[in-house]
Amino acid sequence: MHSEKPKHDFEPKIIAFVCTWCTYAGADLAGTSRMQYPSNVRVLKFPCTGRIDPVFILKAFQQGADGILVSGCHPGDCHYIAGNYHARRRFAVFRKLLEFIGVDLNRIQFSWVSAAEGGKWVEVVTDLTERVRAMGPMVEFKDLVLEEQWSGNLNNPELQAVYEAM
Amino acid sequence: MTQTIDISSYSAITDAIRNEARRILSDSTVSAVIGYTAGRRKGSTQPIVITTADDADQLIFSAACLNDLVVYLTKAKKDVPKGGRIGIVVKGCDLKALVGLLGESQLKRENLYLIGIPCSGVLGSLLKPAAELTTETIASKCCECTDQLPVGCDFVPTVTPTPLPDLEKRYANEIARLEAMNPSERWEFWKEQFSKCIKCYACRQVCPFCFCEQCLCDRNRPQMVEQTPRPLGNTAWHLMRAMHLAGRCAGCGECERVCPMDIPLNLLNRKMAKELKELFNSEAGFEVREAGPLTSYREDDDQSFIR
Amino acid sequence: MSRIGVFICHCGENISRTVDVEQVAAQAALMPGVAFAVDYKYMCSDPGQNLVKNAITEHRLTHVVVAACSPRMHERTFRKAVEQAGLNPFLCEMANIREHCSWVHEDREEATDKAIEIVGMLVERVKKNRVLPTITVPVTKRALVIGGGIAGIQAALDIADAGHQVVLVEREPSIGGHMAQLSETFPTLDCSQCIMTPKMVDVANHPNITLHTYSEIEQVDGYIGNFQITVRKKARSVDEHKCTGCGVCMTKCPQKKIPNSFDCNLGTRTAIYVPFPQAVPNVPVIDRENCTMFKSGKCGVCQKACGPGAVDFEQQDQLIVEPVGAIVVSTGFELYRITEKTKGSPIKGYGEFGHGKIPDVIDGMTFERLASASGPTGGKIQRPSDGKEPKQVVFIQCVGSRSREKGISYCSKVCCMYTAKHTMLYHHKVHDGQAYVFFMDARVPGKSYDEFWRRAIEDEEAVYIRGMVSRLYQKGDKIVVMGSDISVGVQVEIEADLVVLATAVQPQKGADLLAQKLGISYDKYNFYSEAHAKLRPVECATAGIYLAGACQGPKDIPDTVSQASAAAAKVMTLFAKDKLEREPIVARVKESGCVGCFACKKVCAYGAIEEKEIRDRQGNLVKVVAYVNPGVCAGCGTCQATCPSKSVELDGYTDEQIVAMIEAL
Ligand SMILES: Cc1cc2nc3c(=O)[nH]c(=O)nc-3n(C[C@H](O)[C@H](O)[C@H](O)COP(=O)(O)OP(=O)(O)OC[C@H]3O[C@@H](n4cnc5c(N)ncnc54)[C@H](O)[C@@H]3O)c2cc1C
Ligand code: SF4
Ligand code: SF4
Ligand code: SF4
Ligand code: SF4
Ligand code: SF4
Ligand code: FES
Repeated sequence: MHSEKPKHDFEPKIIAFVCTWCTYAGADLAGTSRMQYPSNVRVLKFPCTGRIDPVFILKAFQQGADGILVSGCHPGDCHYIAGNYHARRRFAVFRKLLEFIGVDLNRIQFSWVSAAEGGKWVEVVTDLTERVRAMGPMVEFKDLVLEEQWSGNLNNPELQAVYEAM
Repeated sequence: MTQTIDISSYSAITDAIRNEARRILSDSTVSAVIGYTAGRRKGSTQPIVITTADDADQLIFSAACLNDLVVYLTKAKKDVPKGGRIGIVVKGCDLKALVGLLGESQLKRENLYLIGIPCSGVLGSLLKPAAELTTETIASKCCECTDQLPVGCDFVPTVTPTPLPDLEKRYANEIARLEAMNPSERWEFWKEQFSKCIKCYACRQVCPFCFCEQCLCDRNRPQMVEQTPRPLGNTAWHLMRAMHLAGRCAGCGECERVCPMDIPLNLLNRKMAKELKELFNSEAGFEVREAGPLTSYREDDDQSFIR
Repeated sequence: MSRIGVFICHCGENISRTVDVEQVAAQAALMPGVAFAVDYKYMCSDPGQNLVKNAITEHRLTHVVVAACSPRMHERTFRKAVEQAGLNPFLCEMANIREHCSWVHEDREEATDKAIEIVGMLVERVKKNRVLPTITVPVTKRALVIGGGIAGIQAALDIADAGHQVVLVEREPSIGGHMAQLSETFPTLDCSQCIMTPKMVDVANHPNITLHTYSEIEQVDGYIGNFQITVRKKARSVDEHKCTGCGVCMTKCPQKKIPNSFDCNLGTRTAIYVPFPQAVPNVPVIDRENCTMFKSGKCGVCQKACGPGAVDFEQQDQLIVEPVGAIVVSTGFELYRITEKTKGSPIKGYGEFGHGKIPDVIDGMTFERLASASGPTGGKIQRPSDGKEPKQVVFIQCVGSRSREKGISYCSKVCCMYTAKHTMLYHHKVHDGQAYVFFMDARVPGKSYDEFWRRAIEDEEAVYIRGMVSRLYQKGDKIVVMGSDISVGVQVEIEADLVVLATAVQPQKGADLLAQKLGISYDKYNFYSEAHAKLRPVECATAGIYLAGACQGPKDIPDTVSQASAAAAKVMTLFAKDKLEREPIVARVKESGCVGCFACKKVCAYGAIEEKEIRDRQGNLVKVVAYVNPGVCAGCGTCQATCPSKSVELDGYTDEQIVAMIEAL
């Protein structure tokens, strides 16, 4: 079972935005079924895809994400009736915007993964990881970060401490 | 070939607006009228709020009446509507913004008296306000305008707008040009554009729909968008802004006009509008919508992009 | 400063086999804000939980991260433990390093790195967690049932028998609904009245049931546990308390020829009337449109005849406010009528069947009245035009139903069975008669249903013709029915004396208006929508509102009664506690930022968002903002993602918490 895994030059950073009720549970099922997939993905749990704000995706790219996954319940199965319908429209438009400003849409995957689809979770995550690995790092946003001559970052530890004290 | 556009009707429109303003102010239908008046430079115009019938003669309409006055109803002159019903002069594009605001509970129709303009086009810029209106100088938004005659107003001068000649569809062409590029070329284009932004927020200030009391990009706990005028934060600001206006933007083009750095903001807006029309058959119009395309859904919406 | 405790579980070997838990603990200890980090074999065991509890006191921890299995597994366990140690449970988060890490990765180094990053994310998140008090909502233990058909009756009786007060509101002068109109019922052929009336009387006599007949819902305010219902009690013109139900008034009324809609207009009634003899309450009502007194101001015969002086021409509509905690909606159905094409009806019309033009083309309910022993003909099958006994009867199924072109694509579900029943009743009463049935398919699943349908064909000699009728027309005193038998591929033509159409079952007129008052959703036909087609078939998405009977979709009596009892059980579950406790994962509006665009309200599937006026001290309106009712909000967060200025935030999933996680990556 312990086959030697090939080492790659580039390990992409994949961030997954998922809803609790379906995709998170589907990923849990992949775990309980001991399925294997690349360890690149970091999962952020949301109550529902309806809560996922496009700004988070921008944030993730700025934080150095190379690939993004947004996943929730199949249409009609949203735990909150219609959250995924709203998300579907929101992301249909947002991905067009990203495409228009020059983001390669191959870096972003949207999927419906139900609580019973552990296998689909593994497929989706593996495919995305492999695809993004082949594409290489997402340099566009990283370049922008480099171009920030003055960081302007208000979240530095000093200011953070001041906030906490407030 | 540059062609002159006939705007001889604008003097008749000016007279009609003045008469109507005089009438509704003197019989107290409204407490104020928001319109255009002559500016200091020759040919230029500026917004004006008049409150007495005597001032009605100050109102004008010309090819230099670019402002979308609707913004005065939600922002600068927020208190004006509190004085009672007010009159406002609107072109077709402005009216679409106003209708959008009605749908977003920012205005009440019964508090407004709408004076619609049968519009034959306005200039693209106020830099040369006295310039002749031609197929060159006309605003880009006018080149693609399908709503020259406003619908649903309380008063519209009985003038037929000049049918616009076949104008180059500047936005559509530019969108097509960009779409034909590969992603990295597009990224370079926009990176260049966004890097010019100085975060003056004139675009936000002038947009009728940016009526938020606290804009998301001014928030710092958490900081959603970097606030410095630097490439990273600029990109985030422009994407966020395009998303916030998607499905709401009426295409008045004011954001693009006021941008001191000449960033083609309306190009993003038009692209979003194009996609919304294609995806959900939804576009800004003269009828108040119960919900916009991004606050509603259909069970059978396209999901071909979802695995 | 936060003092976070990180607790890393080995899960026996489930985690520690692939993840170097000691290293995770060592790295966690170095993370900013972490005051204590430890690993342990079984964190969820009693000693494990005690370890967490003791560490909280010993190290004065302010927040806790448990790195173990999925939060779906043990979040509750650890939040409870943390609460027992005196911390707010929502200051505890779980880092999933089992299902999402140790079980799905083999490489120890990779898995360990990932586990450290996951813990890091949760450490950053938990710093932004806020103390969230559990939300409690008081529950008014009184239920409202809307619609007094068999569904409403059953639900009301069940809830009342459990000891709770019930308010039953019925639009008509009597409860009973359609079942009171039926003759005998499939699949047992017992008399509908005989099984129905005792239940109706139980309702009338039940000490826990307040009955408002001839009443409608005017307004609905409030939310689960705390609804305020305004009921409009229409002027009956007869004082319910004084009337003894003797019925003298009805014998004296000069208006005797008013078509009785209870009998599908086959019989007549007076202007002061009870719709049928077994009506509950047995109190007449004056039909003001047809009453001589109301039309000309002269008459009042009934008033003079009434011993107790119950007749009151001056009576006004009354508005009654009823506080209730739960609502059962059971407004039932109506039959689609070809002649009365209602505005907005999805059906495009069936002019070809001559209903409304040819008097002897009737619908299924009319046939029920003809066959009913207490009906206008005393149970004799006589055709409406001339009262003759029909010798050839054609039944046509699926009229209106199951044809997308005509407007309705659903199956009305009861027609196959009641048509089979009709052929039997007909055969029992007219021994030399012949019944023909045009049908597309026989859809008769259900206990003893197939047997029943077969009996109609095999024992009761009904002729079933698979195919649709193309046309029918009057010829002398016959009705010529033309159709095709597709099973043998021939045209058939029958000269019938009576034609019975099994018209589609539709929601009641105005079902949409009632739904709008209640804030519940409905489909394109106006049937009310359940919260989940499979797992929550009796609940509405709107908390505290339940569905019973044909208002949710076509149903027969057994299904209706089952759903009614299920709805009652849901109400009783709600009433089992004095206060409703719920997770405080709800949205909250920051009024200072909200500009009242109500984008949030438009996307909220639960109707949790209301408009709230903010006024200054002088009472001037400052602005209108959104308000989230925490009793109703389900916590999906769609509102927040939609609000441009993020003036509405979902507790437990705030932007700060999420951004903190992203920034930890
Ligand atoms: C011709 C025919 C024959 C049938 N035969 C059989 C049979 O043999 N066996 C069988 O199992 N099923 C039979 N059915 C089905 C049966 O009639 C239904 O299953 C049953 O009546 C459904 O009950 P309900 O309480 O849901 O609706 P309904 O009986 O329609 O009752 C609804 C009640 O709500 C009231 N109401 C409506 N709107 C409002 C409002 N806004 N406010 C207040 N009150 C309101 C109505 O006045 C009515 O009293 C038959 C149906 C038809 C059409
Ligand atoms: S950019 Fe967005 S948040 Fe900012 S003012 Fe405009 S709509 Fe509001
Ligand atoms: S985004 Fe620009 S074009 Fe659109 S409504 Fe606002 S100002 Fe006008
Ligand atoms: S007006 Fe132009 S420069 Fe100013 S913030 Fe807007 S895009 Fe940037
Ligand atoms: S909370 Fe946001 S979306 Fe809702 S009304 Fe207020 S500003 Fe609009
Ligand atoms: S969180 Fe969901 S349910 Fe709650 S108010 Fe917002 S949209 Fe409605
Ligand atoms: S709960 Fe999964 S998409 Fe809404």
